Amino acid sequence: MTKAERIASICAAHAGREGPMLPILHDIQAEFGCVDEASEALVAAELNLTRAEVHGVVSFYHDFTPAADPRPVVQICRAEACKARGVEALIDRARSAAGDRVKLKTVYCLGLCSAGPAARVGDRLHAWLDEDGLAQVIEQA
Amino acid sequence: MSGTLAKLQRMADQIALNFTAIGKDNAVLATADHIAKFWDPRMKAAIFASDLSILSPIARSAVENLRAGHEPPPQTGATEFNAVDEVGHSDAG
Amino acid sequence: MGYEPQADFGTPESRSDESVSLTVDGREVTVPVGTSVMRAAREAGGDIPSLCATDSVKSFGSCRMCLVEIEGRRGTPASCTTPAEAGMVVRTQTPRLAKLRRGVMELYISDHPLDCLTCSANNICELQDTAAEVGLRDVRYGYEGANHFAKSPDLSNPYFLFAPDKCIVCSRCVRACDEVQGTLALAVDGRGFASKISAGQASDSFLSSECVSCGACVQTCPTSALMEKSVKQLGKPERSVVTTCAYCGVGCAFRAEMKGEQLVRMVPWKDGKANRGHSCVKGRFAWGYANHRDRITSPMIRENIDQPWREVSWDEAMRFAADRIAAIKAEHGPRALGGITSSRCTNEETFLVQKLVRAGFGTNNVDTCARVCHSPTGYGLSTTFGTSAGTQDFDSAEQTDVFLVIGANPTDAHPVFGSRIKKRLRQGAKMIVVDPRRIDLVKSPHIEAAHHLALQPGTNVAVLTALAHVVVTEGLADEDFVRTRCDWDEYQDWARFVADERHSPEFLETVTRVPAATLREAARLFATGGNGAIYYGLGVTEHSQGSSTVMAIANLAMATGNIGRPGVGVNPLRGQNNVQGACDMGSFPHELSGYRHISQGDSRKLFEDDWGVALDPEPGLRIPNMLDAAVDGSFKAIYIQGEDILQSDPDTHHVAAGLAAMDCVIVHDLFLNETANYAHVFLPGSSFLEKEGTFTNAERRIQPVRRVMEPANGPIGQGLEDWQVTQLLANAIGCDWNYTHASEILAEIARLTPTFAGVTWDRVIAGEQLQWPVTDAAPQGSPVMHVGGFVRGKGKFVVTEYVPTDEKTGPRFPLLLTTGRILSQYNVGAQTRRTANSTWHPEDVLEIHPTDAENRGLADGDMARLASRAGETTLRVKVTDRVAPGVVYTTFHHPDTQANVVTTDNSDWATNCPEYKVTAVQVTPSNGPSEWQESYAEQARRSRRIAAEPAE
Repeated sequence: MTKAERIASICAAHAGREGPMLPILHDIQAEFGCVDEASEALVAAELNLTRAEVHGVVSFYHDFTPAADPRPVVQICRAEACKARGVEALIDRARSAAGDRVKLKTVYCLGLCSAGPAARVGDRLHAWLDEDGLAQVIEQA
Repeated sequence: MSGTLAKLQRMADQIALNFTAIGKDNAVLATADHIAKFWDPRMKAAIFASDLSILSPIARSAVENLRAGHEPPPQTGATEFNAVDEVGHSDAG
Repeated sequence: MGYEPQADFGTPESRSDESVSLTVDGREVTVPVGTSVMRAAREAGGDIPSLCATDSVKSFGSCRMCLVEIEGRRGTPASCTTPAEAGMVVRTQTPRLAKLRRGVMELYISDHPLDCLTCSANNICELQDTAAEVGLRDVRYGYEGANHFAKSPDLSNPYFLFAPDKCIVCSRCVRACDEVQGTLALAVDGRGFASKISAGQASDSFLSSECVSCGACVQTCPTSALMEKSVKQLGKPERSVVTTCAYCGVGCAFRAEMKGEQLVRMVPWKDGKANRGHSCVKGRFAWGYANHRDRITSPMIRENIDQPWREVSWDEAMRFAADRIAAIKAEHGPRALGGITSSRCTNEETFLVQKLVRAGFGTNNVDTCARVCHSPTGYGLSTTFGTSAGTQDFDSAEQTDVFLVIGANPTDAHPVFGSRIKKRLRQGAKMIVVDPRRIDLVKSPHIEAAHHLALQPGTNVAVLTALAHVVVTEGLADEDFVRTRCDWDEYQDWARFVADERHSPEFLETVTRVPAATLREAARLFATGGNGAIYYGLGVTEHSQGSSTVMAIANLAMATGNIGRPGVGVNPLRGQNNVQGACDMGSFPHELSGYRHISQGDSRKLFEDDWGVALDPEPGLRIPNMLDAAVDGSFKAIYIQGEDILQSDPDTHHVAAGLAAMDCVIVHDLFLNETANYAHVFLPGSSFLEKEGTFTNAERRIQPVRRVMEPANGPIGQGLEDWQVTQLLANAIGCDWNYTHASEILAEIARLTPTFAGVTWDRVIAGEQLQWPVTDAAPQGSPVMHVGGFVRGKGKFVVTEYVPTDEKTGPRFPLLLTTGRILSQYNVGAQTRRTANSTWHPEDVLEIHPTDAENRGLADGDMARLASRAGETTLRVKVTDRVAPGVVYTTFHHPDTQANVVTTDNSDWATNCPEYKVTAVQVTPSNGPSEWQESYAEQARRSRRIAAEPAE
């Protein structure tokens, strides 16, 4: 199945939904690791939108990336609550644990404000992190 | 001249054919009215002088009537023109 | 008028009939319900600073400059998003607001280059104005932080640039593209501080994006981020003059913004009732042809067409022409003479050309290019309704529920009106398209037609009769309407005719190739979907049954009760700016101005008394008949103003033969066009920017054409407007005309033409935009027709039998060719090819279905030979499923292609409008230009030579 056919079938699976674009883009990101320009254009054609409109949405959300990155991703919250609970002190160690192997991504709030510092890998959340804990999460990512 | 005459004959037949649906007698009148209102004198003269037998029956009757000097009153809205001080009608392209 | 931008009320006008009163800064204001506080304040003569608000798009509320205080409300709401309410007490200027606004402005300016003095928007910049209004004196944040200063401009569009460093991301451009133009080519890329305007996707430029260069974004940009390159080059205009576009029949009103005699830019005039402040790539930007180096600026003559041209004085040219005309008249009589008026020229110029032919030459051999476009509209609508002009104004589309578009491509050929249709469709109206080709109104972003009847070219009448069959047999006709407004007996005759089984969609499917079920659904939708409006174009008229199709359209509108109120109607979309006017002015060979037949004695006497001559009571020749007569030797001389019949008329070989057979061909044009290759006298013309007069658009709206620069066809002070040239020729052949201004011709038109009785030059230039008839009974003109009843009493149903065209496919010519227009080019391209519009469409291409291409071994971009029984040419193919198998499509904008070499001499039965839309052809691979193209190119080259030595 070509990429165009695959994207057409993803779009078809969401046909009839109200506001199908975001779930479609999530599926594409999950399957191809990115939503690149070609995918934007294909989604635009499928949904009868312009390329510019789809690009506007894709570029707005951090969850969609223009190129695939094979590295595992660790999201680290650096919003107010986690900052107050000391996340900044963990960052240097986290960077060295990640090296070039793991991609660290700053996010602003994972909804665990009372239990920060917090991080996320895939769908798994990690709370009450200290320097070792975060490094371990990264190493196991 | 023959090329032009063939065109005129084709025009007359085409007009007659498109009026056929309104019935033969009406179509003859409408075809004659149409040619009277829209053809230049040399076109009329050329078809008057030609062999009418090759025309379709409606076109032939219409041309014969015109040649005999019978010019019918307007038969369609398109040949009813404004009077000198009238507004409304138009046939803008 | 000096130069100042038009007032901007910040948010769109409310059309409510109810009103509310409120107090703004102590002033009582009454506005329609739904008006924003911002607009109320501005209508009251005050101003509230704003950046993201403009009255062409909905309020957005993002810039936070327009905050106000409202008594009894907490906080400081944005005035653009707050509706005015009764009794509201609003303060727009308080110390608290001043502080807030200054703080916001400070943030904007901290990321804006302060190069105002060298900026192209200097003194025409809303950011600058707003900074001044809020009294910003200092930016505490400095300019060292993160900024967008280093971003380089996008220069890809030939007419405007995008400078991201000047952009404040107010998104007015994005919203104008979405709401006004409906192309949605722009988006905000990213978010927060990284936000930037993106045309298309990340790697796109404006040119490679979906942008159609309408200019709406440029017009709405508050800074120099989107700016005309001409303003960057020339600077701020110093005056502006309201005039009318010279391209299509929409008739957009523009402000010509000038520096001296230099046109700086054309900006749509917001008060123009035809365009409501919008424009397209042609009218907005493609005016450069007016000063193109190809313009001929001196009269020229030659004994025969093998000689090079000789530049001569006006006197010598006129003597030469007059001598030839006199000699021909003496030998062959007046009926050997004739003329063609132009739908591109003004009403006044057109009127004079037909007067020259009738009164000066002494013949009625005058015709106009409407012959080859909308003459069937005239025939068909006058038969059924008693008048043939479009029944609606353009505003009517705002109340349409179901559009039926037949043989028209508004988004390309009438783009400003196309945008209004798209806007209405986005609001939920339904679309039915009848067209062999998948036009953008069938499917394009946010637009999807409910039904596309992709009929076989040439079967319009069959499709319309089948639609009527469904309406009648399924009991969907509006019989109450028919009984009160139409002739009931004629209706019953017609209903019996269409109800016959041989007119059912199922029976006709083999002919039309439209699936019967689809056709039935479309008929039901049109009959029951609310206000149904029919818009049609040359895909209806340019057929052997063009007139019948127009009548079938009128029948369908009457049977469904869709006539005589806003939102409905039958609307021919006119191709050229002054088609309506040229016809009104008596350009047809059988009638005088105001549609009075030349055979009527009292009508003729009116003109004979006024002009002091006797007129020929017999109709004259139509254009194709003139050419036939020329080949036969009975038609010898022609004066052609502003037309290029060699390129635009069908069967080029025959046109060329007719022209070549004449003794005196006088071409009056801006350029040495293709027809001029066969001319003996060339009279240089004046562009629409160089003359005064009026154009009448497709809504019958009479609008001003203003002289903003000297005509280029003479030394300073001696240039001549086109009507002056016609007057010189008239006087050279013995007339005694003494017009000193176009307004005197308009007065003569009004005196002799009842529909124009109330039209005066003063009213025209005052901006009244009158729609004829303008009479004692309707002194303010007549926007919608047939409101209480049809102009001529009862509406007439006319039985329209489907008669297949003689042009049939067969083994030698198995495909059907149909022709059309593209957005960036206009007709024969004489104007648009001489502008940067060729960036988008450098050559005519042949659209062909993948199956047909594959069968012929043709790939996208290959050269192909296109042949019919009339002739052949070569052009590049574009493989696309926009056309159905068996159908090919091309445009006729480029003389190198000469698509009309291929088209035939078939024509409409009633009007001789050529059948451009159906030609049986064969397409085969080719290596190079056809023999005709080569010999034509050589003939054209030789014919365009101008002798190096001036005559004097």
